[in-house]
Order: sequence, then C-alpha cells, then structure tokens
Amino acid sequence: MSSNFYHYPVWVRIWHATNAVLCLFLIVTGFSMLYSNPDNALVVKFQRAVAIHNVCGVLLTVSYTMFLFGNLFTTNGRHYLIRLKGLGQRLWAQGYYYAYGYFKGEKAPFPVDRERKFNPLQQVSYIGVMYFVLPMLFVTGWALMFPEFILKKFLGVSGIFLTDQFHVVLGFLTVIFLFVHLYVSTMGKSPVSNFRSIVTGWQESH
Amino acid sequence: MIFRKIPLFVFILPLLAPLNVAGQDQDTVKPTRSAANSLYAEDNEQNCLKCHGKLVYSITDTVTGLSRKELMAEHNFISPDAFYNSVHWSFNCLDCHSEGFKQFPHAIETRFETGWSCLDCHGYDPTYAQYKFEEIDAEYQKSIHYTATDGAFTCWQCHDAHYYTPMARESGSLRENISRSNEMCLHCHGNPDIMGLVTEKELTMVLPKHEFLPDPDRHLAAVRCIDCHTRMSDSVLVAHEVMAADSAVSSCVDCHSQNSILMGTLYKYVSKESRDQEGFINGVIFSNDSYVIGANRSKFISLTGMIVIGLVLIVAGVHTVFRILIRPVKKYYEQ
Repeated sequence: MSSNFYHYPVWVRIWHATNAVLCLFLIVTGFSMLYSNPDNALVVKFQRAVAIHNVCGVLLTVSYTMFLFGNLFTTNGRHYLIRLKGLGQRLWAQGYYYAYGYFKGEKAPFPVDRERKFNPLQQVSYIGVMYFVLPMLFVTGWALMFPEFILKKFLGVSGIFLTDQFHVVLGFLTVIFLFVHLYVSTMGKSPVSNFRSIVTGWQESH
Repeated sequence: MIFRKIPLFVFILPLLAPLNVAGQDQDTVKPTRSAANSLYAEDNEQNCLKCHGKLVYSITDTVTGLSRKELMAEHNFISPDAFYNSVHWSFNCLDCHSEGFKQFPHAIETRFETGWSCLDCHGYDPTYAQYKFEEIDAEYQKSIHYTATDGAFTCWQCHDAHYYTPMARESGSLRENISRSNEMCLHCHGNPDIMGLVTEKELTMVLPKHEFLPDPDRHLAAVRCIDCHTRMSDSVLVAHEVMAADSAVSSCVDCHSQNSILMGTLYKYVSKESRDQEGFINGVIFSNDSYVIGANRSKFISLTGMIVIGLVLIVAGVHTVFRILIRPVKKYYEQ
C-alpha cells in the first residue's frame, strides 16, 4: 500500500516551475538564433529571440542564485551531496534497473522516500547540470552579452567564437538532460505521478 | 585514395616550372610600380610634384629674385610615394590634367577643367571588362549619391585617382579593407565642409544613427558601410548603388542567418564553394576575426547534438514500447 509524504517544499516547486519555463524559452530562442533563417516559420524572429533569450538568461541567473541559497540554508542541499564510495556499483544497479529490472517487476534499488529524493543516476546528472552546466552557461551567456570583457584571442582563436561554441555545446547538453529528465519522470508509480508530485509537493511512495 | 582525386598535372607542374620562366615574354612581365620605372617620373617631379608633392614648397619672384616658402593646401598635396604605388603610377600628370597647368601661376580656367570619370578611360574597353565599369556606372547613376546631388558627386569623391589601389583584391587583411572602405564614407559623412561641396543637405551625425545596433562599435568595425547601404549586386564585386538611409539594411536577421546577405556583399570575393570553412557554415566570416551568431554554425556540434538528442528519443521510445508490451508480464510478477 502506498503512503504519501510531503516531499517538495513550496520554494522548491516555485523554483522548479520558474526554471522549467525559463529553460524552455531559452532552448527555443537559442535554437532560433543558432538556426536563424527568415524563411523558417519554426524559429522565432532573430531580434525577438535575442531579446527573449537575454531576459530569460538574466531571470534564470536570479532564479539559480535563489536555488543556491535555498540549498545552502535548507535541507534540500543534502540531496546534491554525493557519496563517492561505492558510487560505481550504485550507478550500475540503477542503470540495470532501468534497462532490465524494471521490466521484470523488480523493486527499485533506490526508491524515493522521505530521506532520498534522487537515485544515484539522477544525483550524478543533477549535480552535473546544476553545478557545472548551468553555471558555465551563465558565465558564457553573460560574457556574450558583454563581449568587450571576452579575451580577444585565446591560443590564437577568437575568444567570442570559443565562448559561443562552448555556450552552444552546453545548450545541447541541457536539451539532452531535459529529454532524459522528462522521460525518467514518467517512470514513477504511474506515468504522471512524479509530475503531480512536483506540482502538489506530495510524493507517492513506490 | 586521395591521390586519385589530384590531377596528374599537379605532379608534373614543378618539373615544368623552369621551362615556364624561361619561356616568359619580357613584354608580359608587369613592371614594378616605382618612380624609377615611370617614364614620366622626371617630368612629374620637375614640374607638378616639385610643388604639389611637398607639404612646404618654394616660389621665386623671377623679377626680384626673392624666394619664400609656402604651405601646400592639404587638398592640393599629392604624396609621391602613394602616387607611385597606385594603379595610375605610370601616368604623366598632364595625361589627365589640362595643359593650362603648365603655366604658373595656374590660370583661373584650370579650376574649371572637366575631370575625367573612370568610364572615360576604362569603359567599353575589353582590357578592363572584368571590372565591369559600365555596370558600376549604371549602379552609380541609380544611387542616392547621383540623384541627390545633380551629378555633382563623381567617382573622385570616393576614389582618388592619384592613390587608387584595388584593395579588395590585393590586401590580405579584411579588417584593413573594411577600415579603408569606411574611411571613404566618413571622409564626407563625417565632415560637413567636405559634404557641403556636393550637397546643401545638412549632415546628420553618422554614429548616433547606428545606436540601434547592439554594440555599435563592434558592428561598425566588422562590416563596411556599403554592406548595409548599397543594393546588393549580383555581378559587380563592390556594389555601387548607394541607397537612401531609410532603405538601408536594419533587420538583424538579414546578416544573422544562414543566408546572410554578408555572403553576397563583404564576403562576395570568396566563391560559394569555399564559404563553408573548417566545418562551419559561412566559415569565411572567421577570416574577418568575426563570429556572426545565426550566420555561423559548427556543422560538427550541430550534427553531434542532433544525433545524441535523436538517440535519447529513440532509447526513450524503445523503452516506452517495452514498458507497454511488458506491462501484463510485470503485473503477473507483482501479483
């Protein structure tokens, strides 16, 4: 029998929703700029895309700062602390479950409970995205907004060019993360239970 | 095998090189541009450049024998070094200027001499056919420079025949070309007195008009004025139909897109085939130390990114199918 428990405090849900909306806008406008073409109806007009991308980028930086403070001053931060000992085995166990055990009806090796929000695979990918990909996206994004601060040349290559390419690669990584994140979220007790949880705050245990 | 794609003559060429040099006709060797090689250098320097080639020149009263030094007016000064490096280096001054200039002081009529236009020498001549002077002239006659000045604006307002060099073809530095090209425009558009020579129109300051551009300095250093202010031409290398300011390119996407107009203007000198360089869409833009978002794109990053996203979607799709197919089996085990 399942028991529900309150898992996502209000500030996490507000931050998550803000983050999701801003990321979607940033991805759509980012792709619109990268594949800019006046004849392509699928992309947002370049001028509008730049304006939206800049505004959303600034807002995401603010929202991310709030997330950092939240993690520093509440217990939410502990979910992002990884125990390295036995990490490989835990990752393997979770990967095996997704690829095989899940279909055999095996119990999840690291189910969501009051103490654990993320399984090891989620923990590694969320730490990578939240503490590496996003900060680097902010650094490169802000630098592109103020290109006068970018090194003119780095190892003989244009600094703006390198910054932009890095920004694009990180953008692709974010899109890939988003798809994986969305798909894995359908693997809760029911395909929509995790989505319901992040809206209501109440988690259905497995 | 890559060698199969290289024509055989490429390997034979080095062997033929000495024969080629030996076989060169002396008449076809292009003379080096210098005063020493100019037939008229002595004439020019003893007559016109004796005064006009110096910033300070001397005049002597032939009756009293008194001499004094004078400053040459800036617009009448001809730099001998720059002249002998120009395409017109081999000319005698009087090939283009009237005989009246032989007399000193110059007669008042000389001030009203009709200057030659480029077309007078270069038009309808097969020797210069590749430069398409006739098409340039046709474009110029449709330009705002011609229509708004009643023809007072001539080739010389931009192209000084004394110093003309085909920079777009000869200089390796694109930034330098851009800077020199923009200097031509700012020579008038940055100086009300000079602009007043051809129009009564009040000069509007150029830079404030471009503040709509994000980071205007960066934009104006990386493109020529004419890239936005001329109608794109399919045939001539440098378009000459300068449009009225309100018709200029002002939409970002005109440059910031895969079909950037810059490919038909600033980078037109590069063939279509070689515009995509180093795995980048419109990679030729990098030769200008520039990177244009929307126009430049790494094919490798785009392809890799799309492949990984595609793989993620395929794996998710297959996983979903298995979840649906295996659900009854799973339920059975769970019971």
